[in-house]
Amino acid sequence: MRAGGGTRRALVAAMASALAWTGAARAADGPPVAIVHARVYVPGGRAPLDYATVLLAGGKVQAVGRDVTVPLQAVTIEAKGKVVTPGLIDADSSVGVVDVSLEPESDDTDVHGVMSPALRMVDGYNPRSALVLLARRSGVTSVIVAPHSGVLAGQAAFVDLAGDTLAESVVRPTLAEYARVDEDTVQASAGTRGGLWLMLREAFGEARFYAAHRAAYDANAARPLGLPRASLEALQPVLRGEQPLVVTAHRASDIEAALRLGDELKVRLIIEGASEAWLVADELARRKVAVVIDPMANLPERFDRLHARSDNAAILSRAGVPVVIATFSAHQGRLLWQHAGNAVRLGMDHDAAIRAVTEAPADAFGLRGYGRLEPGAVGNVVVWSGDPLETSTRVEHVFVRGREETLVTRQTLLLERYRTLPIPRDGSR
Amino acid sequence: MTFRRTALALLGVGLCACSPRGARAPAGAEAAGGPAPASTCSAGQSPFAEAEARSRMPVDQAEAPRSTAVLIRHATIMTAAHRRYEPGFLLMKGGAIAAVGAGDGPAPEAGAVVVDAQGKFVTPGIIDPHSHIGVYPSPQTAGHDDGNELTDPVTAGLRAEHSFWPQDPAIERAVAGGVTTLGVLPGSGNLVGGRGVVVHLSPRQGARAMRFPGAPEILKMACGENPKRVYGGMKRSPTTRMGNVRALREAFIKAQKYTRDWVEWTDRQGKPAPAKKPDDKGGPDSKPPDRDLGLETLAQVLRGEILVEWHCYQADDMLAALQVADEFGFKVRAFHHALEAYKIRDVLARENVAIATWDDWWGFKMEAYDGVPENLALFTEAGGRAALHSDSPIAGQVLNQAAGKALAAGRAAGVKLDDDDALRWLTANPAWVLGIDDQVGTLETGKRADVAVWSDNPLSTYARAELVYVDGHLVFDRAHPGAPWSDFELGVRGMTARETDR
Repeated sequence: MRAGGGTRRALVAAMASALAWTGAARAADGPPVAIVHARVYVPGGRAPLDYATVLLAGGKVQAVGRDVTVPLQAVTIEAKGKVVTPGLIDADSSVGVVDVSLEPESDDTDVHGVMSPALRMVDGYNPRSALVLLARRSGVTSVIVAPHSGVLAGQAAFVDLAGDTLAESVVRPTLAEYARVDEDTVQASAGTRGGLWLMLREAFGEARFYAAHRAAYDANAARPLGLPRASLEALQPVLRGEQPLVVTAHRASDIEAALRLGDELKVRLIIEGASEAWLVADELARRKVAVVIDPMANLPERFDRLHARSDNAAILSRAGVPVVIATFSAHQGRLLWQHAGNAVRLGMDHDAAIRAVTEAPADAFGLRGYGRLEPGAVGNVVVWSGDPLETSTRVEHVFVRGREETLVTRQTLLLERYRTLPIPRDGSR
Repeated sequence: MTFRRTALALLGVGLCACSPRGARAPAGAEAAGGPAPASTCSAGQSPFAEAEARSRMPVDQAEAPRSTAVLIRHATIMTAAHRRYEPGFLLMKGGAIAAVGAGDGPAPEAGAVVVDAQGKFVTPGIIDPHSHIGVYPSPQTAGHDDGNELTDPVTAGLRAEHSFWPQDPAIERAVAGGVTTLGVLPGSGNLVGGRGVVVHLSPRQGARAMRFPGAPEILKMACGENPKRVYGGMKRSPTTRMGNVRALREAFIKAQKYTRDWVEWTDRQGKPAPAKKPDDKGGPDSKPPDRDLGLETLAQVLRGEILVEWHCYQADDMLAALQVADEFGFKVRAFHHALEAYKIRDVLARENVAIATWDDWWGFKMEAYDGVPENLALFTEAGGRAALHSDSPIAGQVLNQAAGKALAAGRAAGVKLDDDDALRWLTANPAWVLGIDDQVGTLETGKRADVAVWSDNPLSTYARAELVYVDGHLVFDRAHPGAPWSDFELGVRGMTARETDR
């Protein structure tokens, strides 16, 4: 499609706004850090390197390997017997947009409405939330803060879990557009699947029309459109292939319908939820469409996931589908490694499960520099006491953009306060 | 504050329950060779228990047919009774554990099934003391939304048993997670939600037949945010925590009067129990008080015939609950959820109140804001009885991992715990919470043969329950899954083909 003057203006504006977010990224100060003698997970399907070094400097990974020269001024972390991975990426999280789920004033996860493609989760993100520190203590260094309600739900933000300001923490303010065709969304919108798909097609149809007739629209000479201008604009990056369209679909036939829509619109798709994706694994693999799943969701919780099963992740992974594992949670950052571990328990390859919370989300969402320990990568690194997916393992060090972050949380402070009971002098409680 | 136990004047009349389920001997206790279920009284007869006995059904749990002998050998046996045999053996016979110990065990008798469990781990079956499986089943439908009767804040006359859908697909998945017994409770929308039911997991067509033989009656109560949110939303009392406590005290005051009326009537009959039917017109003063199912339940709580399972999160709410229990002279068996138990662990341990909680859930509401993953460990260190629960059909499939996580958190905080302590969070302690600790929860001779065989240490993420036995019968075999238990899942590809193509 030929970009008109309006499109060009919008593009420039979008780029300027992206620059505004990332321009003030935290300076990576301090000396280089060398994590030595560790078992290091490296990209590209290679086996982990034993007794290896990871060198961080200037906010980046400088070197990874067994023969890395450690600069004299480097701070050295002895990690013999430890495991080093890229910081985990939670590909569907509500960290930073909710404090207490049942208190509406503290909850910015949902909007009231079914068609809000222009909603930006970044506008509700709070980098000082207590949940940021808790997720980080679980080895999560970046999250995709995704919208969770509406046929067109809005745009996710991609953030690093560090920094006190939005400018310091937000990496991509508008990473992807989200659509939902699951049972709850059908009920909350048109009432039937047919009605919901009609809404979706009309929305994209209007967005196409708007892009082709912007001058007429500006001159008030175009046919009337149902969506407001902000919504029409918000869908352009998807139609231009600059943003993926993430569709939450569980039933196999709903996933197939989403793939058909993707063909019609020629957009880049990611399927979320995907409880029955194993039934269409070959089709997803052929198209290289990534899925974002909770591998523990094995119950026929709804009629749109009666075929849910325990080894969904394993089957998809073996079929060659890019599998991304997420928490779909705000408070339970620990679920990320536990979900990945359960995928292994239920048949997924261990290294593939590690990739499902590191490389795979980075690849699926186009997060260059993330999810991989290789020279030039963003310095998001976690040192674990052992296998990252095992219950007994503890997170020992977390680096975000090359800087070591504190592991103090509200919970560690509560523990400190109550490790010995503060019993008043009169013994009463 | 100290909790002085006021004497309950009503108990001074000499009537006392012999067992929470009335005069019937609990068949299961006999079969397992264990003592009668826990009870605060030892002699006499309760008028309420007698009334209850009249309501029994012809489909009560029958004792399962005696299982054939099964000998599991060459495994690591984790007994949850402070013993670990590595390698060891476990012999099940006639539904009970016949022998357990180190080495290869006795020569197998003729016809015995011998399981070579080299490299495997054997534990008691997991007991989940707080589940809504069957009352909030999968799939979530209006047709089966049967967990909360939100029409009155005190619905003590309800029984979860009468909502329980035995075709819930979550039942079999729980068993696949090594679970053999569930405490199924009504939801927490009401201050008194109703009686729970303890179910022993094997496929049946009705809840009554799944009742754990000899398990005491349990009552679900709730404090804090849920009742006041539910009824506040309806613009009726309670809308506050003080409203919660008032409504509860008023209910127990009525139960005191109800007890008094029945005791006086029983006394007038000159008999220890109302032997005649309630509508008999025998003597001049023989018309009994009207039965009230709710007050009957609360009166049985006052008499120690029903175990109180109380949903409370905050330390201050638990202390207020203990105040009410103290005022009316009943015991709290366990606080469920109890995220702030670590703040008052000395009080709860002293009062012998258990907790049933998660490993690390927190933050979903205000009263859950101070949860810490060290809760179980700190509570255990203080001498308290801590149990893990799921409250979720997903979390209930990986309670063993929750124990592993809570153990790791405790150890990192410097709490000295061994694997057996963590295993007891899954078995022995929830058995006590449900009053069935004399029958299950440890691998000891004479206990029911509820057993899980794991691929790995059950505290590991990677451990899979491979074989699960209930009363010595093999109810789950991962290598040979067979047709689904639930009729609902017949013809569904995920289940009929499940895990067979690995």
